[in-house]
Amino acid sequence: MAKTPIGLEPVIGSLTSSKKREYRVTNRLQEGKRPLYAVVFNFIDSRYFNVFATVGGNRVTVYQCLEGGVIAVLQSYVDEDKDESFYTVSWACNVDGTPFVVAGGINGIIRVIDASNEKIHKSFVGHGDSVNEIRTQPLKPSLIVSASKDESVRLWNVHTGICILIFAGAGGHRNEVLSVDFHPSDIYRIASCGMDNTVKIWSMKEFWTYVEKSFTWTDLPSKFPTKYVQFPVFLASIHSNYVDCNRWLGDFILSKSVDNEIVLWEPKMKEQSPGEGTVDILQKYPVPECDIWFIKFSYDFHYNSVAIGNREGKIFVWEVQSSPPVLIARLSHAQSKSPIRQTAMSFDGSTILSCCEDGTIWRWDAVPAN
Amino acid sequence: MTANPSPSASADGSEPPKDSSMTQVEEKSVSSKEILSVIDSLKKQVAANRSLFVKERLEENRKKLGDITSHLYKSSNERRSSWIGDTDSASDLLTKRQKDAIGMQNGIDLSNGDKDGYSYQEPSTAVLMGSSIPVKNAVRPIKLTEVKKLPPYTTWIFLDRNQRMTEDQSVVGRRRIYYDQNGGEALICSDSEEEIIEDDEEKKDFVGSEDFILRMTIKEVGLSDRALESLAQCLSRSPAEVKARYETLMKEEKDVGASENRDTEAQNWNSFLEKDLEAALDSFDNLFCRRCLVFDCRLHGCSQDLIFPADKQNPWNHPDEEKAPCGLHCYRLALKSERNDTVRSPMNPDDKSNSSSDGIAAQISSSKKSAGPSARRKAKSSQSESASSNARNLSESSDSEIRPEHEESSPIPQLSPSKNKIAGKSGISKRNSKRVAERVLICMRKRQKKMAASESDSLVSGCVSPTDMKLRSNPRKQNEDATPSSHKDVKSSNIGRSRRKDWPLKGVQGEVPSSETINDLALTSSNDCLRREEFVDENLGKEELSDDKSWKAVEKGLFEKGLEIFGRNSCLIARNLLNGLKTCWEVFQYMTGSDNKLAYHAADGGLSLLEGCSKYDLNGAMGNNEVRRRSRFLRRRGRVRRLKYTWKSTAYHSIRKRITERKDQPCRQYNPCSCQTACGKQCSCLLNGTCCEKYCGCPKSCKNRFRGCHCAKSQCRSRQCPCFAADRECDPDVCRNCWVSCGDGTGSLGVPPQRGDNYECRNMKLLLKQQQRVLLGRSDVSGWGAFLKNNVGKHEYLGEYTGELISHREADKRGKIYDRENSSFLFNLNDQFVLDAYRKGDKLKFANHSPEPNCYAKVIMVAGDHRVGIFAKERINAGEELFYDYRYEPDRAPAWARKPEASGSKKEDGAPSSGRAKKLA
Repeated sequence: MAKTPIGLEPVIGSLTSSKKREYRVTNRLQEGKRPLYAVVFNFIDSRYFNVFATVGGNRVTVYQCLEGGVIAVLQSYVDEDKDESFYTVSWACNVDGTPFVVAGGINGIIRVIDASNEKIHKSFVGHGDSVNEIRTQPLKPSLIVSASKDESVRLWNVHTGICILIFAGAGGHRNEVLSVDFHPSDIYRIASCGMDNTVKIWSMKEFWTYVEKSFTWTDLPSKFPTKYVQFPVFLASIHSNYVDCNRWLGDFILSKSVDNEIVLWEPKMKEQSPGEGTVDILQKYPVPECDIWFIKFSYDFHYNSVAIGNREGKIFVWEVQSSPPVLIARLSHAQSKSPIRQTAMSFDGSTILSCCEDGTIWRWDAVPAN
Repeated sequence: MTANPSPSASADGSEPPKDSSMTQVEEKSVSSKEILSVIDSLKKQVAANRSLFVKERLEENRKKLGDITSHLYKSSNERRSSWIGDTDSASDLLTKRQKDAIGMQNGIDLSNGDKDGYSYQEPSTAVLMGSSIPVKNAVRPIKLTEVKKLPPYTTWIFLDRNQRMTEDQSVVGRRRIYYDQNGGEALICSDSEEEIIEDDEEKKDFVGSEDFILRMTIKEVGLSDRALESLAQCLSRSPAEVKARYETLMKEEKDVGASENRDTEAQNWNSFLEKDLEAALDSFDNLFCRRCLVFDCRLHGCSQDLIFPADKQNPWNHPDEEKAPCGLHCYRLALKSERNDTVRSPMNPDDKSNSSSDGIAAQISSSKKSAGPSARRKAKSSQSESASSNARNLSESSDSEIRPEHEESSPIPQLSPSKNKIAGKSGISKRNSKRVAERVLICMRKRQKKMAASESDSLVSGCVSPTDMKLRSNPRKQNEDATPSSHKDVKSSNIGRSRRKDWPLKGVQGEVPSSETINDLALTSSNDCLRREEFVDENLGKEELSDDKSWKAVEKGLFEKGLEIFGRNSCLIARNLLNGLKTCWEVFQYMTGSDNKLAYHAADGGLSLLEGCSKYDLNGAMGNNEVRRRSRFLRRRGRVRRLKYTWKSTAYHSIRKRITERKDQPCRQYNPCSCQTACGKQCSCLLNGTCCEKYCGCPKSCKNRFRGCHCAKSQCRSRQCPCFAADRECDPDVCRNCWVSCGDGTGSLGVPPQRGDNYECRNMKLLLKQQQRVLLGRSDVSGWGAFLKNNVGKHEYLGEYTGELISHREADKRGKIYDRENSSFLFNLNDQFVLDAYRKGDKLKFANHSPEPNCYAKVIMVAGDHRVGIFAKERINAGEELFYDYRYEPDRAPAWARKPEASGSKKEDGAPSSGRAKKLA
């Protein structure tokens, strides 16, 4: 990156922990031997706020967090293909509210599991290579978006099983797409990032009729007129290496590369010329020993804090919306040495889960302040 | 920091400047600290502002997010309640398990039982975990049935025709990190370190805060070298840059101060008209592809070199329209009334005012008459009479202008036989007009009579734009022929222009009182009209505008173009290029005006115009003759050439050579040459070793042109056809019998039989996109494969291999990356370009390699572009997979593509090849 001009420097958070909250390990599970790549709480249905799902190897597991650090296994799914290795999982639901677990991995097949009936709902075949991330549209949780190694991002309707849009082509990513996220309020907008070191913001405003059409489609899903979105509305080159996680924070974006930090920035678009614009890097949240790719962070429901693991099994919890950023806590445990691939924060941030390369799940609970 | 006198100061030699320089330096050394402190404090200020700004931005964002999350929370609760409302919880297994788990936890808490044992007893329900036994053993998993995965591919875009790579698609000069799945190492795929640095050294613009520091510092410490230096250091730029920026800042400040008072009301409504034609055509020149005849051509790109053919097309003319007025404002009509005026003034100068008032009276009376349909009949009858007086003449001429509106109201023009006769006479009047310069005074009356008759006649059949109708039904407007035009423009709400347009006419007619009064009358009437239409007439002052000034740059430009296209035909120019801007009459005036280059004065204005018009008529005739002669000449030459022409002579030796050497040497990319005469040794095509094509600037007789074929029977399918032999498709523009006809080719659409109508050329399949249906499926060999839907015969054209056109350098670069992924869609096209179908292409890119293929690829020249056609090598049945020989360059083939004995001899057998795997034609 070129040197930031004076007056536009980001505010960098201090690594001295404020000890605002204290977390303690309350449980540790060994799921299997294969690495766990994703863990995610269900935020779309308030009945299941304490339910989370993990993926690793050819297995998708649904758990529940109970009081006193207890974790209960609710469901476990195994792909018959032993070579499948799931990389990502997300919660979604049918139009009538049936909870779905959506997982994808090395095979490039997206598995939509109906958790209330404990059976596969649909399998989406279409991606030409592994699926690196799946996210759910919070306002319309039947819509999911997937990022793939085949350099495309695809929008699917889990209710009807339709691939609505493909974000790829002339202006698309030039290498694997590693992460994608829906804007929390602007339903048309998604951000994606990947191995081409860029973050791209896409708009599906012009294609929204297709999204609506997908809900009422009765013909075969393969006959749906899937559209290509070839040009993003914004392109940001903030990082100089793989960008493996990006998340919206309101109208800002939080993204990370392998540079031991998370960057908060604002995309400033030029109204007249789509695709162009500038980036204002607002804040940086240092995360030591976080220099390998495919480490993803997570928010609590209210976007107050963000938790991220590192290569050495430590977790950093940042107060994400304060300026300058405050490090809420630094979590470490003598036995937690394996790289943490993803963390999950519960609804109120009082519980943090981490899933590790060695196949363990760690549960951290906030110690009540008194 | 030491106070060394600068060399320039010491070189001065004289005492006082040295002293002053010394003191200056001392001042500087003292002030440099100050400068730094000033800068530091400013920096702090900026930093503080920045953190405040970030804080505010985040606070704003937090508020927004608060609303969003509360909304999301609400909807997540709604989902819960709607679910509970309409189903029994038993059917929802997730909820059931959830409850089980809670119940179990409570039970355990009560009984303090063994968790693990519990879980093994009821494996189907939830299991509490708190121990270290692997979860996967704790519960019975639900199986997800296997789904067959797709062979890997990168998402690609279908391409109908090749595209040139856009700049931002290039991987050259860009850093690409390759992650090795197995080793976990990251490799940087760039040629050298410099390439990486390149990107970072882009010039940065100054941001607001930097400007602030700059301004404030200089304000406080003054503009000195020292200050600039420390500023430059602080902003990490060169002092010169800082200084330049400061100067622009100061200038901007001044500009802002000055422009605050100025009214910056943008006059966008006619911004287009303010530009000159060159600027307006700039985008056309840049964006229009003259080879594909589309805008924004993705194959040949923007900003192509403009090549104009040396064979100029003759000015377009339409035989039927000759000498017939094009409309109400046709110069022919205007000329006639013009002549009336001008002739009258020299003849009886004393009588001027009388006759003119007579004229007006006559006009008014006639226009009054014209209000009723009977007037029309009267007018007709008056035409057939021989006109003897000026007044009569005038009334006739005004009648002739009234006529169209009647035609409008009764749309069917009725030509009486007598009129046809008169129309026949128009030929005489034309001849007369040539002699008019010498014999204006003598022949005036006779000629006028005929003119009036013939022209009013043609007007009857002439068309008038319907928008005029309403306006012209107002009798006032018939006073003078200028007024309708002004009204027309008023209607288009362009007051300023309409005003200006009135005046050229006036100037032409001279400041003779008669026309003056007429014009005044016209003005008042139009003013009335203006008021009625609620326009404010504020442009009276502009009326003094001269003729020339009323022509905007773009209009002049359009006029010039019009001359090129239509020749000296004001009717066509006005109608096609200046429609709504200028009338035919105005164009004519401008044309003659610019011819004469005489600023005509009031008295002789009309005369000079008359001369101009006669000259024009002569010119026009001469021009036409010239055109006719030239076209005849061309035709004759064409015939001669055709006699000489045989298929043996069509292709030149250089091409023959190339055909034989084809295997060793890639074809040459064709770029049209801009030779204006027959191509000599300097011709870029000749130097490049390509033929000249129809897109070249050189004349058709150029020796280097490829002259197409002359086949009559072979269907151009064998090497007998020179096009086929030269690996070219036939071109309907060039070949003699290769013809593309509409419909079924039988001429059923009413097209008369053409040459080559019964000849079916089979060598235009790429051009006509006559391809086979290709299906994409899982290959029997590996990955994806291309399959054929229908049976095809030998040498049948199957389809085109399309892709991005990239340079060889780019291809080398991409090839390295593709080799790592072990899939390459590169295809050598010619000496300049490689086709890459990796991201963009068509289904044929999935056809696999085989040493015993059933297809072959061939690079073919189609209308100046090289394209890749895939052809059947043998008969292929429906549903068969397509294979062709990739023709790897011997040392570049990947191990699996080599022939067994070849790969056995190589040392790095099995290892991925280091070179680029490229498909060769």
